[in-house]
Amino acid sequence: MNFLKKILAESGKLFEKGKPLSFAYPLWEATDTILLSTNSQNKSGPHIRDNMDIKRTMFFVVIALIPCYLFGAYNIGYLHSAAMGISSSILSDFIFGMTYVLPILIVTFIAGAICEITFAVIRKHEINEGFLVSCALIPLTMPPDIPLWQLFIGTSFGIIIGKEIFGGVGTNVFNPALTARAFMYFAFPTKISGEKVWAVGPDGYTGATALSIPANPTEYDTATNLFNQVTQFDFSTLNLFWGLIPGSIGETNKLLVLLGGLFLIYCGIASWRIMIASVLGLVFTAGLFNLLADYSTNAMLTITPLQHILIGSFLFGTVFMASEPVTSTHTNKGRWIYGFMIGMLTVIIRSINPAYPEGVMLAILIMNMFAPLIDYYIVKSNINMRLSRNA
Amino acid sequence: MLKIKVKKGHNINIAGVASREILAPQKNNTVSLSPENFRYIKPKLLVKENDVVKLGDPIFFDKLSPAVKWPAIASGKISKIIYGDRRAIKEIIFSVDASLESKDSNVEQKKLSNKDDIINYLLEKNMWPFITQRPFNKVADPSDNPKSIIVSLANTAPLSVDYNFTLSSNKDTIISALENLKKLTEGKLFVAVNPGEFDYLSDLDFVDVVQVEGPHPAGNVGVILNNISPINSKDIVWTVQGHHLPILGKLFSDGIFDPSITINLSGPVVNSPSYFKSRIGASLESYCKGSLSIDQVRIISGDVLTGKESMMNGYLGFYHSSISVIEESFDRSFIGWLHPGGSSKYSIFNAYFGNNKSPYNFTTLQNGSHRAFVPIEAWEKVFPMDIYINALLRSIESNDFEEMEKLGIYECDEEDVALCSFVCPSKTDVGAIIRKGLDTVYFDQ
Repeated sequence: MNFLKKILAESGKLFEKGKPLSFAYPLWEATDTILLSTNSQNKSGPHIRDNMDIKRTMFFVVIALIPCYLFGAYNIGYLHSAAMGISSSILSDFIFGMTYVLPILIVTFIAGAICEITFAVIRKHEINEGFLVSCALIPLTMPPDIPLWQLFIGTSFGIIIGKEIFGGVGTNVFNPALTARAFMYFAFPTKISGEKVWAVGPDGYTGATALSIPANPTEYDTATNLFNQVTQFDFSTLNLFWGLIPGSIGETNKLLVLLGGLFLIYCGIASWRIMIASVLGLVFTAGLFNLLADYSTNAMLTITPLQHILIGSFLFGTVFMASEPVTSTHTNKGRWIYGFMIGMLTVIIRSINPAYPEGVMLAILIMNMFAPLIDYYIVKSNINMRLSRNA
Repeated sequence: MLKIKVKKGHNINIAGVASREILAPQKNNTVSLSPENFRYIKPKLLVKENDVVKLGDPIFFDKLSPAVKWPAIASGKISKIIYGDRRAIKEIIFSVDASLESKDSNVEQKKLSNKDDIINYLLEKNMWPFITQRPFNKVADPSDNPKSIIVSLANTAPLSVDYNFTLSSNKDTIISALENLKKLTEGKLFVAVNPGEFDYLSDLDFVDVVQVEGPHPAGNVGVILNNISPINSKDIVWTVQGHHLPILGKLFSDGIFDPSITINLSGPVVNSPSYFKSRIGASLESYCKGSLSIDQVRIISGDVLTGKESMMNGYLGFYHSSISVIEESFDRSFIGWLHPGGSSKYSIFNAYFGNNKSPYNFTTLQNGSHRAFVPIEAWEKVFPMDIYINALLRSIESNDFEEMEKLGIYECDEEDVALCSFVCPSKTDVGAIIRKGLDTVYFDQ
C-alpha cells in the first residue's frame, strides 16, 4: 500500500499547477481518490465529518442496478430461445443475453467517460461520479438490438446536452440518461420503438410489448381481455411482475426494480416521497380513466391501476429516474407534487396520446422542466409566511 | 412553560465524553483575551505590554462603539500583545498574579432598578461583551432595544459541557443574573432547559422557561427562537452563554468580576476526559499536556462542530467552555469508498454495516472529496428550522440581498447549520456560506 501511496504522491506532482500535465488534473484526482480514499482535512467549520461521500452515494445506485442487468441479460436469452422454439438452460440464456448487454454497456461507458473527462478538463472541475450512474442507467432503457453507433451518439448527447452545457452535475435541468433516450427515441425511431425491437428473434420477428396491446387493438375490448388473448407472451399479472416479457433491457422485472428502490430508500439516497407520490398519481389517474372508459372506445382507458404499474417502464422510471436528486424538486413538499404529476402524466400520455405508448420517459422529462417552478412556489410560500410575520 | 420538541437533527455518537467529575483546578499562569473572538469590532488598546492591570480593568475598546470596553480577565502583568497582519491585535496575554486577584474582592452592592442602570453598570464595569445578539452572533449594541433575551442551558452540541452538572451549585448567582437580564428587555426572557433540569427556574415569574427535547441542534438559541419567537427583519434578540450567568450574577449581586468557569476536556484521543474548574481564556497547554494519547492531534477551543482550531500553546476562546481534541489524520485507505462498514465508519446514512453503534473515534479527515452539491435530502434530516436552506444558500452564492432576507438569513447562524456540513456527502461547508451571507447583509446595513 505504501508503494501505491508513493506512486500516487509522486505522480500527483506532475499534475500540479504550472506543471506540464496540469490540464489533466481532474483525471489524476479521479484516479487518485478511486484508489486511495482522500486525505483532505476539514479546514474549519465542522472538524469532523460523516463517512458518506458522493463516490459511495453514486456507487450505491449502481449496486441497486446490477440485479436489473443480470435479469435483463437472462430475459434476452429466454425470449430468444422462446422465439426460436429451442429449449435451453438458464445459464446459456444468460450468456446469450450478455453478448447483447455487454457491448451496449461498454459503448455507453466509453461515450460517457469521453464526454465527462473532456468537460472536466476544459472546465477545470472534478470528474463527478454522477456520470457513472447516468451511464449505468442508459443501457437498461435500451432495446437489446440497438445499433451501437446510435447508442454512442445518444449517450454523448445525453451527457453533453442533458448535463454538461448546464454546468455539470448539480446544475443540470434534465436527467442525462433520459435525455439520451429521448434523443434516440426521436432521432432513430425505428430502432427504439415499434414491435420489432424488443425481443431478439429470427429476421422479421415481432414481439409487441404489453403496452402496445391495448394501444393498437384489432377490436375494442378491455385491457385485461386483450392481454389474455395474447398467445405469444404470457401477459398475466404475475408474469408482468416477474418480467419474462419483451421490453427495455432493465425494466421488465418489477421485483428487482422494487428491491433496488427499497435499498436506495433504506440507505437514504433516493427520495421515498417521489416514489410514493408518483405511484399515487398513477393510481389516481388510472382509476379516474377506468371510470371514463365506458364512454370511450379507447382500450387504454380500461387498464387497471395495477396493470399500469406493472406494464412498461413506469416503476423503473419512478425508482431510478424520477428520484434522481438534482433534476427533481429540492423541497420535500415539492417532491410530493413532482412525483404525483409524473404519475398523472404517465397515464395521460400512455392513454390519450396515440403516438407514444410509453409515457413515463416524457412525463419525467416534462416534470424535470417544471421542478424549478414547483420549488419556486414552495419557497415563495415560505417567503410570504416570513413577510406576513414581519407585517 | 413552553415545550418544544425538535425532530430533525442528530446526536453525534463521538467517543471521549467527559466523565462527571470535576478535577482540581490547573494552574493558569497565563490567560489570553483575543479580539478575534468578537465579530465586526475595531479594537483600540488601552494598555501596553508590561502594564499591571486588575481584574475587570478596561483593556481595549471598540472604535465603532466606544462605550463598549473589554475587561482584563486576570489581575497581573500584560506579558505580551501579539499582532497579526496589518497590526491587527490577535491576542493579549496576561500573566496571572494570584496574590493580586485575592485582594480585589470588595463586595459592593448597587441597586439596579431599570434598563439604563444595568446597561450603564455593565459598561462601567467593562462587562458588556458578555451580552451578545442575534442576528449576526456579535457583541450586542447597548443602544438597541431587544425584542427578547434568550439563554440556553440545554447544550446539545457533541462533547459540550453539561450545564446541569457544571452549574448545579450556582443557583443564587444564576437567579441574580436572570433577574437583572429581564430588566433589559420589554419582551420576554427565555431560558431553555432540558426536561427535568433547573426546576427552580419555573418558580421565577420573570423567566419564561422553554423545555427543549430532541437531538442537536435542539439546544441552539437560533433553533429555539425559530420555534417560539422567530427573528423578523429589524428584530434584535440578546443572548448570554449559559456558563457566563454565574459571572454576571456575581457581578450584579456583589460587584465582583470572577472569571471562573467550569470547562471540560474531551474527545477520542483524551486519556481521561473530565471537567475542570477553570477560567475565561485559560491556557490550553495546562489541560492538554500529558493527557493526550497521541501526538498528532487537533486541539479545538469549543466543540467539534463549531469550535476554533487552536494549538497546544493556544488559549480558550472568550465564549468557549470546552476543549475538544481529535486526531489529525492523514490516513488514506485503499478503495475506501468500497468499505463494507463496521466500527470504523460513521454515517447518518444506512450506507455501512452496523455503523454508529459504539462511540466513534472521529478524526479530522473529510472522508471524501469535495464535489458539486447533490441534494439527496441530507441537510433536511438535520436542519430543524422552517427555512429552505438550499434556496438560502443559492441566494447567498448569487449575492442576492433581498432574497437572503426573505429566506430568513437573520434567523440562522453558523452553529445552526454545522450539522448540515457534517452530513453533506458533497462536503460543502454550509456554515461558511451562511457566514458569508451574514457578513454581506451586515456590511450592507
